[in-house]
Order: sequence, then C-alpha cells, then structure tokens
Amino acid sequence: MPGIEHLLAALTPLNIMLAFAGVIAGTVIGSLPGLTATMAVAVLVPITFTMAPASALILMGAIYTGAIYGGAYAAILLNTPGTPSAIATTFDGFPMAKRGDGDLAVTLACLASVAGGLVGAVFLLILAPPLANVALAFGPVEYFWLAVFGLTLISALSERNLLKGLIGACFGLLLSCVGIAEISADVRFTFGSQTLLGGIETVTALIGLYCIPVLIDLVATPDKHLKVTHEPRGFRLGEALAISWKGKFNLARSSVIGTLVGILPGAGGSIAGLVAYSEARRSSSRSENFGHGEPDGVQATESANNATVGGGFIPTLVLGIPGTPPDAVILGALLIQGVRTGPNLFADEGSIVYTFIYGLFLATILMLPAGLVIGRYAYKTIVTVPKAMLVPTVAFMTMIGTYAIRNNVSDVVIMIVLGVIGWVLNRFGFSPSPIVLGLILGSIAEQGFVQAWTIGAATDDLAAMFFGRPISLGIIALILLALFYPLVRAHWLGKRRKVSAD
Amino acid sequence: MPTESVTKQTSRDVPGMVVAVVFILVAAFALWDTTNMADADSYVFPGAVAIAMIVFSIALIVWNLVFPSGGNGEAMPGASTARRIALVAVMLISTALMPYLGFLVSGLAAFAAIMLVAMYDPWTRYRTIVYPLVCVGVVLGFYTIFAKVLLVPLPVGLLFE
Repeated sequence: MPGIEHLLAALTPLNIMLAFAGVIAGTVIGSLPGLTATMAVAVLVPITFTMAPASALILMGAIYTGAIYGGAYAAILLNTPGTPSAIATTFDGFPMAKRGDGDLAVTLACLASVAGGLVGAVFLLILAPPLANVALAFGPVEYFWLAVFGLTLISALSERNLLKGLIGACFGLLLSCVGIAEISADVRFTFGSQTLLGGIETVTALIGLYCIPVLIDLVATPDKHLKVTHEPRGFRLGEALAISWKGKFNLARSSVIGTLVGILPGAGGSIAGLVAYSEARRSSSRSENFGHGEPDGVQATESANNATVGGGFIPTLVLGIPGTPPDAVILGALLIQGVRTGPNLFADEGSIVYTFIYGLFLATILMLPAGLVIGRYAYKTIVTVPKAMLVPTVAFMTMIGTYAIRNNVSDVVIMIVLGVIGWVLNRFGFSPSPIVLGLILGSIAEQGFVQAWTIGAATDDLAAMFFGRPISLGIIALILLALFYPLVRAHWLGKRRKVSAD
Repeated sequence: MPTESVTKQTSRDVPGMVVAVVFILVAAFALWDTTNMADADSYVFPGAVAIAMIVFSIALIVWNLVFPSGGNGEAMPGASTARRIALVAVMLISTALMPYLGFLVSGLAAFAAIMLVAMYDPWTRYRTIVYPLVCVGVVLGFYTIFAKVLLVPLPVGLLFE
C-alpha cells in the first residue's frame, strides 16, 4: 500500500529537479509540431539508464506529461496540434486566439491539463489493478465501436453541412488505407509510388491539413495573425480559474474519460480528447458555441489528453501492456532497468511504483508554474513577432518536424500537398477536421472490424460478435445517444417553448 | 431588388458540387483499385468507404439542386493569390532540392524566400540587417537541435558529402 515513505522518497531534491526539468523539456518538445510525446520520451530515455528506477520513471513521466500539455500551444496559437493529442484543442483554442483570447486559452489549457493529469494519477494510485482488467475486456469489436463513436463527432465538426463532413470523413478514411494493409499486407492506393508505400503518417497529415492552410492565408494579407490587445493582461489566471470552476463537471467527466481511454492500449490521447470533446459538446447548454471559441472545448480536450498519462500507465505497470505509444518506450526503459512489470509489480516493487506515482503527482503540479510561464512566453512571441519572421519560422518548423517523424523527405512533400488540398477544400466548405478524424480512426476501425469479422465468421455468429457483447452494447448506446440526443433535445426544447408561449 | 446575401442564400453551391464530383471520381478510382487486391480483408473496408463517399457526394449534389442554399466559400478581400502560390512553390521546391543541397542549405534558402514572400513592411536599415541574421539564427538553431541533440539524420546533400 502507498505510504508516507514513498511520498517522501518522491520529494527528494533530485526527484523534484528531475520532475521540473522533465516537464519543461517535455513542454518545449511537445509544442513543436512534428515532435510528439513518444519522440520526446524516446530521445531522452538514454539519460535515464544510469539513474535509480524511480527517478528514471519520474523523469520520463514528467517529460511525457509535459509533452502532452505542450501540444496545446501550437494548437491554440497556430491551429496546428503540436502532438496528435491536441487535435481537438484546435477546434476552440484557435478561434479563441483569433478573437484575442489566446492567453486565456493557454492558461485554461494549463489548468485543465493539471486537473486531468492529477485525476489520471489518482486512478493510477488507487485503482490500478482492477482498472487494468478493462484493457483486457476490450476486444477488436469494442475498438471498432469506439472508433465509430469517435466518428459521430463528424456531425459536430461539419459546420452547417453534415454531408460535406461525411464526405470529408470518407476521404480521411480512404487516406488511412493508403500503403500496406495492416492485416493482409496488400499494397493499397499507392499507384506504384514508393513514396506512398509507408502510408500517410497521422502527424504529417495533421501538420499539413491544419498548419499549411493557416500559412497560405497568413502570407496573403498584411493583417496580424492573431488579434492583439494592447493592455497587459498577465496570465488571466483569475478568469481562467473562474471558468474552470464553472466547468468543474466538464473537467471531471473529461478527466475520467481520458483515464479510461488511456487504459485502452493503442487508443491514446487523440481519441481521448475527441471523445471528451464530443461528450462536452453534447452535454453543454452552449453546444452551438463549440467550434467557435468555447472555453469548455479546450478544457475537455486538455484535461482528457493529460489524464491518459496516468491511465496509460495502468496497463503498462499492471499488465506489461503499454496503454499509449510513449508508455511502450517507458516500458522498454523499465525492462532495461531490470524492473519486471506485471500483476505483482505493486507488491514486489512497491517502493519504485509508489514513489513514481507520487513523482507523477509532483510533475503534474509543477506543470502549473512551468506551463503558465512557458505559455505566456509562447503567446507573447506569437503575437509580437512580425509576419515576415513568423511565417518562415513556422513553415521551417513544419518541414523539419515532418521530416523528423520518419526521416523521410517524401513525408514533407505529402504534408505540403495535403495542406494545399485542405486549403482548397476548406474554401469550399469542406472542413479539415472530419478528414483528420477519418484518418486517425480509420486504421483502428478497419483493424477492429476485420478482426471481429474474422472471429465472428469463424465462430459462425457475426451478429453476436458485433452486437452481443456488453461493452459493445454500451458503446453502441453512447453512439445512438451522440447521434440522436441533439434531435431529441431540439424537439424537447421546441415543445417546451410552445408550451410556455401558450 | 434582392440583396447580395439573399442572392447568395438562394444560389447553388456550384464549387461544392464540383468538389463533390471530384470526390466521386476519387472514390471510383479507389473502388477500381480495390479490384487489384487479392484478400477480402484488404478491400472490404476501403470499398465500403468508397461507396459511402459516392453516395454522400451524389446526395450533396442532389440536395444542392433541389434546395439551393448558397456556398460556404470564404473569400478574403484583397488577398494575394501570387504570394500564396509562391509560398507553396518555395516549400515544394526547397523540399525537392533537400536531398541534393542538404537540409541546411535548402532550409536557409526556403526561410529567406518565404521571408520575402511574407514581407509587407518596408525594408528599413534595421530590418535589412536583423531579419537575415534572425533567418540564419533560426535555421541554425533548429538544425543544431534536430541534428546534434535529437540526432535526427537530416539530409547532408551532395555539397557536403
């Protein structure tokens, strides 16, 4: 059981310093488009080899949590998710920044990330062993339905035209099929080109579809990138705290969603953010404001994606199954350290595990001052840098960041071409978000569908495979709720208005 | 006399319909490509998606013909198309030259060219001196971080081999 000795072990000067340095390094790396949390952890893993296992874990956990938060900067200020986890942060973060509330959005994101991170860590501390079983209960069909649930967000992202959103999502799903098929290894939609053999990398597509259109429009006019207010407003912490307190249920719900999605191997922060955003929008009384700079949208995404850090560690430590890609890197580092993960880890290596979990709390709390200061600096930089410096710097960052994903020049070309396609489509009312949604969820949906179909066909009971499992039915119920709740609500509100008019 | 906004509301979204036709062609091409796939596991999913894309695109066209509701295109008044094209061209050309010139040289050239494309302010003496220095500083800074710290194998190019 966790005791005070583990807390004290986590609070040594060395661990505090490692947690602080890790959060700063992670935040900076995560804020650069193209550099993901996985890369941040992977790059800094070698320096942990000489450390004590608990300190090494604290450093890696701090880098990870910092990188997930850092992705919000680029999402809010440049409309480019710094990491895939911050996709849904762009939906409301960038509109907030456009109208002059970028500083508020960055502070809100910081508070939400801290809240989400703490909730994830609490679940990890208290409920890790029982929750790890959730990961085992999820089979291919549950992943398929989870991806379909994510796709229901299209209706929210389609901005007035559902058909265009659906077409965009189909386009994204087709893009996700480019390259070598994961199950059958068939080569698909490459048209004989070796450039496309590796498929379209999600981060490459994200940078292209979100950032290049912004750059194309930035160079077209001499107008400022973001609306600038001249009076100094500081961190706007009081305002952000008031909004966060008002949205406490949203924060709590999104954090729990993030933790639970984080437990599912392979799902990750992007899915957690999208699902939490979808739920926040569905249950909000200001749902029509979502996508136009609603602070609740930023809160939902940022709390959910940071909660995946604690959530992802649950199957990693209890089952030895990495919950998210950075967890896989950390798992490798743990094995090198001689720490054997598994159901007995909490009993056999309690001093390491609980010290690490308290260290994760420490890193998450330290993210507040570090995140606020770095966020303030990032915001000031973006709004004050002249356009002739901002555009080439961002363009250069997109190129080097995209290249670094797979050390491949072709990815840079794909990124630029997708960016141009995204800009053209956006001009004609086809928003890039459904395309990205299709691209991200495509491989999960396809893999889950094909595997479930194969198992169902082998057992000669396809219907039971897709519609007979309790978790599947629960997710299907959520899908139906997400699809039809707005209609039912509109009908109910109309009826109520009619009654009050009478 | 109808106002402009009313006219827009009652006109058809022709660009949207054109894009829908392009999407139908893309989906048809994808469907044709699935015929070359041997395993059902490979073609079932993309085939179903392509068919759905065709259905949605046709529905969009029909909807526009029956219920004209105006386009969604957002024109930016006074926007420079030439600068937009120049930006994309510079990025594509510098990327294409990357394997030959190396990342550092092509990056410096791209940065400088994009800086010129995005320049709206007059070239004062301060800007003439500082901007090129910033250009070199940013490119060298990122190059050092990625190549030396993060050990990303950036293309060296024929010049430095």
